[in-house]
Amino acid sequence: MTKEIIRLINLTKLYEKDTRPINNITVSMNKGAWTSIMGPSGSGKTTLLNLIGCLDSATKGSIHINGTEITKLNRNQLTKFRRENIGLIFQQYHLVPYLTAVENVMMAQYYHSFVEESEAVDALKRVGLGHRLKHVPAHLSGGEQQRVCIARALINEPEILLADEPTGNLDQKNGEVVLKLIKELHKEGHTIVLVTHNPDIGRLGDRLINLIDGKISSDSIINKMKYGIIKEV
Amino acid sequence: MFLRILWKSLSKRKSRIAIAVISVIMGAAIATALLSVSLDVGEKVGYEFRKYGANLMVVPESDTIEVGFPGVDFGSVTEQRYINESDLWKIKTIFWRNNVLGFAPILYQVVSIGEGEDEQNVVLAGTYFSKDIEIIEPYSSNDPLIFNTGIQEISPWWKVSGNWIEDQNDTTSSMVGINVAEKLNLEIGDTLTIRYYANYEELTNETVYNLKVKGIVETDGNEDNQIFVNLQVAQDLTGRNDKVHMIQVSALCNACPVDTFAEEIEGKITYAEARTVKQLVSAEMNILGKIEDMMFLVTIVALLASALGVMTTMTTSVIERQKEIGLMKSVGAEDKKIVSLFLSEASIIGVIGGIFGYIIGIILSQFIGLSVFNTSITPRFEIIPIALGISVGITLLASALPVRRATKIEPAIVLRGE
Ligand SMILES: Nc1ncnc2c1ncn2[C@@H]1O[C@H](COP(=O)(O)OP(=O)(O)OP(=O)(O)O)[C@@H](O)[C@H]1O
Ligand SMILES: [Mg+2]
Repeated sequence: MTKEIIRLINLTKLYEKDTRPINNITVSMNKGAWTSIMGPSGSGKTTLLNLIGCLDSATKGSIHINGTEITKLNRNQLTKFRRENIGLIFQQYHLVPYLTAVENVMMAQYYHSFVEESEAVDALKRVGLGHRLKHVPAHLSGGEQQRVCIARALINEPEILLADEPTGNLDQKNGEVVLKLIKELHKEGHTIVLVTHNPDIGRLGDRLINLIDGKISSDSIINKMKYGIIKEV
Repeated sequence: MFLRILWKSLSKRKSRIAIAVISVIMGAAIATALLSVSLDVGEKVGYEFRKYGANLMVVPESDTIEVGFPGVDFGSVTEQRYINESDLWKIKTIFWRNNVLGFAPILYQVVSIGEGEDEQNVVLAGTYFSKDIEIIEPYSSNDPLIFNTGIQEISPWWKVSGNWIEDQNDTTSSMVGINVAEKLNLEIGDTLTIRYYANYEELTNETVYNLKVKGIVETDGNEDNQIFVNLQVAQDLTGRNDKVHMIQVSALCNACPVDTFAEEIEGKITYAEARTVKQLVSAEMNILGKIEDMMFLVTIVALLASALGVMTTMTTSVIERQKEIGLMKSVGAEDKKIVSLFLSEASIIGVIGGIFGYIIGIILSQFIGLSVFNTSITPRFEIIPIALGISVGITLLASALPVRRATKIEPAIVLRGE
């Protein structure tokens, strides 16, 4: 029934000799599961997400996503793999400043395959921004910018959504709008890995992993319907 | 979409792009200006240098006329040898005929001017002013059959008040050197009387000839002491039909082999000797060569400077846009997409810079031409592709390093905080 989609084996990331933001982690996550990752600042949450998102390369160990060992891919292969499989949502909601909301979404289409403006418009409508299509990021509120990012992350229909403190810079109201969207996506079957500092948000998922100093300190299943399998070493 | 990204990224960073464009414009303008100038001046400097006289003298073999000093004393010219006027056309049939800009034969005769006590000797020079010469056997069937030439053609520096003798059959007009004119108080339109003695020692067998003064010549050289008439007049006066003493030949020489010219002319007119005005020619080539070297250097320096300008702007732009580049990569842009975006920007900068650089360069070339060489420069459209090529090439080259840097940007920085 449940099938694993992400598997990390003895994963280690080392920046300098001493800093070991990811220290020998072995874990897998199931398809369709929402995994929340929490932990103190500097514990390696962002680093872990970057590794899974093919944005950074591991020092040791391997990462398997959907059966592909991405730690063996080169830069360009990683880029291609990422755009097929992974949607990214950032805390700082990075958008290209000189492109409008709809163009920012279309840019992701363009780098993925081909541009279909009506789809980009639909994606923005879905996140409630049908009335802000032609605005540049500077003319959008933080919550609106974050929703553009979500639309952009969704436009190529990735199976996995990685979100790094997606509500970290938002006020309560906007945060709730974004969380509601993420919940919807989860219902639709997307696999979600979400980093947060907020315990309330952490509890929204199916499973909660705590990181301390690059190691998993606790791992608990909240929603037994879709749980992950843990193999701590 | 690519064009949209390209266009917006350019138009939103106008001031930065402007700096890059301006540095390309400067390089392209200087390259265009110096290229036009050296193409044009290459020829025009040749003309400039001809001011100092013809660069070839053709004289009868073993004659002793001194090069550069045609007004020699003909006191004992009984054994004087001549070149046949009817052989002149052959000069225009050498291999390098197109570089023969013109020539003028000269037949000298000492005559007397003034009355009684004031009577004195002066050199009468018969020559062509502007004469149509028939090329009897052209070198190639494409060559024109008529060549118009004369002293006017090869001595553009003569300062003439009044007029040149335009009519090649005019046997009653003369052009008078300024010293002669002053001595006799001659003005344009006056009549000048010359006496020719067939027997000069005894001053007998006198022929008196009246010539109208058509122009007064000032050259600061020997010409100032001479009287010029159509060759025909001098030949008739002295009964030396078809004879000339020497031929002044003006060859356009910016690096042409004057020695070869001379040999070839000697091959055509076998009894003649062609002498090059060596110092002049080599000085001419030397200075031209140096000017060209200098222009080349200046161009290189200018292009290096604009490459540096482009490189700086591009590097700054890559650094400023790190996030954006990382973001593009994180949503799936491969290196080649990033490279093509930046190189397209560079090409556009190069094209705009090249076009404006060309226009400004042409204007600049006029200034250089007028102030340095005293001549206007013909704008050459064939330089447009060269200017564009150079500026696009320079921008692309200068962008290579910054773009490499852009490909090295890790998308991971995007997820990280500021
Ligand atoms: N590029 C880098 N070079 C060197 N060290 C780095 C680099 N990026 C992160 N680190 C270090 O790795 C460790 C983990 O960083 P990471 O960003 O993953 O923490 P985090 O859990 O996301 O923290 P936060 O909650 O503050 O976002 C930190 O000690 C950090 O200083
Ligand atoms: Mg972080």
